[in-house]
Amino acid sequence: MSPNKLTVLVVDDEKSLRDFVKRNLEVRGYQALTAANGLEALALFESNAVNLVILDLMMPYMNGLETIRRLRQTSQTPIIVLSALGEEEDKIQALNRGADDYLTKPFGVGELLARVQAVLRRAQVAKRPSTDALLVRGPLTADLDRHEIKLNQKPLDLTPTEFSLLVYFMENEGKVLPHQTILRHVWGPEYGQETEYLRVYIGRLRQKIEPDSARPRYLRTERGIGYSFITY
Amino acid sequence: MRSLRLRRDLGLQVLALYLIFVGLVVASTLVFENFASRRLQADVQAADLALARAIAQETSTFTNNALQAVSRLADYPAVVAADNGGMTEIFRTVLDVRSEVNLVYRLNEQGVMLFHYPIEPGSTVGTDFSFRDYFQRALLANGPILSKGRISPTTNKPVATAVMPLWAENGRFLGVVGTNLKLESLSQTLGSIVGEYPSQEQMDILIVDDAGQIVAHTDSSLMLSDATETMPQVITAVLANATGSQIAPDLTGEEMLYSYVPIPSAGWGVVVSRPTAVAFASPSIFRRGALLAIVVFLIGGVIFWLIFSERVLRPIERLAYFSQSVGLEEAFSEDHRQKLATLTSRPDQMGLLMRSMTDMQQAIEARLNELSTLLETGRAVVSSLDSVVVLDTILAQVERLLDVNMSAIFAYDEARNIFRVRASRNLPDWYIQQAVINPSDPSSITMRTIRSGQPIQIDDTETNPSFKAHRDRARAAGYRSVMAVPLLTQHAPPTALLVFRPDPHEFTQREGNLLSSFATQAAMAIENAALFARSDMRLQEQTRRLEALVQSMQDGLILENLEGRVIYANRRIAELSGLPPEQIQQSPVDDVMAHLLRRAPDKENAVTAVATALHPHGEHKANLALVYPDQTIYLRLKVFEVTDSQGLPLGRGRILQDITQRQELDRMKSSLIATVSHELRTPLAAIKGYATTLLAEDVEWDMASQREFLEIISQESDHLNNLVNDLLDMSRLEAGNLTVRRIACDLGELIGQAALRAHPQPGERLLVNLPPDLPPIYADPRRIESVLRNLIENAAKYGGEGRIWITAVSQPTHLTIYVQDEGPGIDAQHAERIFTSFYRLENGLTRNASGAGLGLSIARGFVRLHGGEIWVEPKPSGACLAFSLPLQASGPQWASFAASED
Repeated sequence: MSPNKLTVLVVDDEKSLRDFVKRNLEVRGYQALTAANGLEALALFESNAVNLVILDLMMPYMNGLETIRRLRQTSQTPIIVLSALGEEEDKIQALNRGADDYLTKPFGVGELLARVQAVLRRAQVAKRPSTDALLVRGPLTADLDRHEIKLNQKPLDLTPTEFSLLVYFMENEGKVLPHQTILRHVWGPEYGQETEYLRVYIGRLRQKIEPDSARPRYLRTERGIGYSFITY
Repeated sequence: MRSLRLRRDLGLQVLALYLIFVGLVVASTLVFENFASRRLQADVQAADLALARAIAQETSTFTNNALQAVSRLADYPAVVAADNGGMTEIFRTVLDVRSEVNLVYRLNEQGVMLFHYPIEPGSTVGTDFSFRDYFQRALLANGPILSKGRISPTTNKPVATAVMPLWAENGRFLGVVGTNLKLESLSQTLGSIVGEYPSQEQMDILIVDDAGQIVAHTDSSLMLSDATETMPQVITAVLANATGSQIAPDLTGEEMLYSYVPIPSAGWGVVVSRPTAVAFASPSIFRRGALLAIVVFLIGGVIFWLIFSERVLRPIERLAYFSQSVGLEEAFSEDHRQKLATLTSRPDQMGLLMRSMTDMQQAIEARLNELSTLLETGRAVVSSLDSVVVLDTILAQVERLLDVNMSAIFAYDEARNIFRVRASRNLPDWYIQQAVINPSDPSSITMRTIRSGQPIQIDDTETNPSFKAHRDRARAAGYRSVMAVPLLTQHAPPTALLVFRPDPHEFTQREGNLLSSFATQAAMAIENAALFARSDMRLQEQTRRLEALVQSMQDGLILENLEGRVIYANRRIAELSGLPPEQIQQSPVDDVMAHLLRRAPDKENAVTAVATALHPHGEHKANLALVYPDQTIYLRLKVFEVTDSQGLPLGRGRILQDITQRQELDRMKSSLIATVSHELRTPLAAIKGYATTLLAEDVEWDMASQREFLEIISQESDHLNNLVNDLLDMSRLEAGNLTVRRIACDLGELIGQAALRAHPQPGERLLVNLPPDLPPIYADPRRIESVLRNLIENAAKYGGEGRIWITAVSQPTHLTIYVQDEGPGIDAQHAERIFTSFYRLENGLTRNASGAGLGLSIARGFVRLHGGEIWVEPKPSGACLAFSLPLQASGPQWASFAASED
């Protein structure tokens, strides 16, 4: 296993689909591991350094959602969900559990690869070159170098996407940021329509930084437009 | 208005009539009086005239006699010759014969007195009387003439002189011879006439001479006075030879009636005068009489009217008032009562009328009393359904109205086939106990009245022979007369009403009718009670049914009162709350709810939801999930207000609707969508994935990979096609319009094809073990292959990596095929449900189905269409699904079935 190759764990109970993803990833330089169900996936995840998990939701022997939950207990490794269920509720449920992206079956190879790259890119944000910059906004202090944000001197536990999103808000304090702009900046240029991602992530950030998440003070909803971040 | 009053008031009418009568009488009296007084006046005048005529006649005779006598004196030569001696002789004779003459004399041609007889001392011989009127007239006359009245100077008496001129043969005037007539004698005659009249007549009669001097008068003092002064018109008239009457005032102003008649021979007149007051005294008396009569009439009328009013009108008014008050419960004043009593005691027709009206009033009041009692009874009958109370009320009224001291209602007791007392008043207890009547008893008055349907009475129990058998009992109970009437009932057993009196008494027709009326009321009361008892029974039955229904409901029901206590809770509430039913009753509803909500996984939310539902302006609905050891029950709480007919709140009801099944169904439906979507998209995803893989331009795949990808696309397309077919079959099965085409086919072949098409492929894991002598089966190969494929896919999917066995057992009538895997097996509780559509096993870690959940359901549908059955065969390990198919020999019906299918 080459150390510079990124390892992707592909989990799907349908062999044909699993093989299709695996072969496409391998041919493009990723190392692919496959599992037919959640239990297998967890075992493989434990024993390998996995950079990305691609996970089907409806599987026997531990379904996708439960698998995400277990994965998220120990790791912030990006997860892309594959599902035949395309409803917004299903997406939000998956995102809430900690998925980073969501692909509805059927999907094309291009789409899959774009998402894989975008998710991996977001995960790489923390590994940007050091800037020595400390971003201070109200009670929040972001240390971009150390991939850490503190609230009232206490470090927050954030996923890479959450980190990127919050940093983006802090950099643009006081501006009203439309949904599409946020998605393109944080998730990547492939995104733009996935407003439910934002709802999930904004919700999660509010849980983490707002004194009262039901009445947000910093992360404000600009109805019909997007969000804004204000600490003053 | 006045005429109305007149019409209404008899007294006024009588008064008016009386006034008309009196008016007529007065008017006729006045007319008559007028007429009569005229007649009377005329009579008086006529009488006076007659009197005057008579006097005139007499006076005329008197004067004529005097004139004849004096004319005869002229025949005497001694007189002519104025021989005193001869004249003395002659004149004396004259004086002797004629008493009215007081002097005879002879004047010479110069008017000198020659001689007169008697020769008195105061002789006037030698006195010249030529100035006398009569002398002047005598110079021109041939016959005797009468002078006017005067005082004779010779005799000093009032006289009138009859003079005869004396003519010589040669026509020489020789003087006159005259006789003085005593006017007193005339007056005396008049006096005697007047004397015949009553003194109060105040009649005056006078005679006037041609000069208007009074020559005779009833009052001699007026002799020779001039009458023309006192009664000029009368004198003028009478001296003008007129006869008549005049009314004129005299000198004193008193009105007098003058009647006058002339005496033509002497040129005198007679006047009879009386004061009119005296003359017309008779008419005025008559008038007074008439006036008196009118006054008497008036007074009599008033007295009559007063008596009429007091004795007739007032009593009539009182009678009218009295008759108006009949039926009204108005008390008369004491005064009025006394007057009525007086009226009643009168012996005349008015008293009779009053007495008959009093009788009538009493009769009416008695009838009214009866009617009001009956009405009251009727009210009592409809006011209560308690027949005991109603019957007692009726009997009380009977006693009040009929003056009986005991009463009873005898009714038929069906259970014992006897008649006995159902209700009674004042009857001794022992009587009630003993009064048991056999329906066949001919002497029983109760039975007689019921049989005949007519009232029966015994006027004296001691003497009536038909009552002999019961005489002792009657004596003991203390009654002498009894009456019985039947109660005409339709919905109740035969009944009779009996009344008893302590004395012999013949009940009148009226009493009989009255009792019958009460009997009708009592019958109604008994009927009402009987009908109510029936309807009550029906109601209770209905209530029981309703209760059973409510109790058997799968939904829980709690009714609470306004204090929040449970007044009703059905069995389901007891089951859900786990509280014993008797403990739920009357306990606070909140306690029961708290017991229920204990089972809610999120208790706080559940309590809030219930509180919101109970809020008056809330939705009255809440969904609850209660977790029980064996299952989760989903409930929908519905709260409703319970009000009475006026809309006033009585309490509240809560329905706990069990929506577990519905929830399950909903879940299954959404699960179906998810499943179908998943199942269809999974092969589609593979197809699209491999297709885009081939199309991707950044990678060049070798030929083997390309072929592999295309094969996968083809396989997945087949899989997709199978799925679509399954779904169509499913919908056809559900719609019931799927047809099977049976042909003889080989089971082994079908298993082979099914295994090939199965997805995932069982591959090497599939082990088929079929008996060698397996007969061909008659079936629709496509359907049975589908059944097998579904079972194999199921085993491959859930059987893990273990092997899959397919075995078949042939029995006389059917063939059974088993498909067993080495998976975790199927819980007995799911054994039946896995065959329902979209049911998938969910067992924590062990599985999350990727099958559509349709396979087994479709398999069952197909197997059943073939007349077979599918089930889960219990096995110690792994799952074993089995299905049976009838063999051809199983019966003609499936051959015909098959034939009909073809």
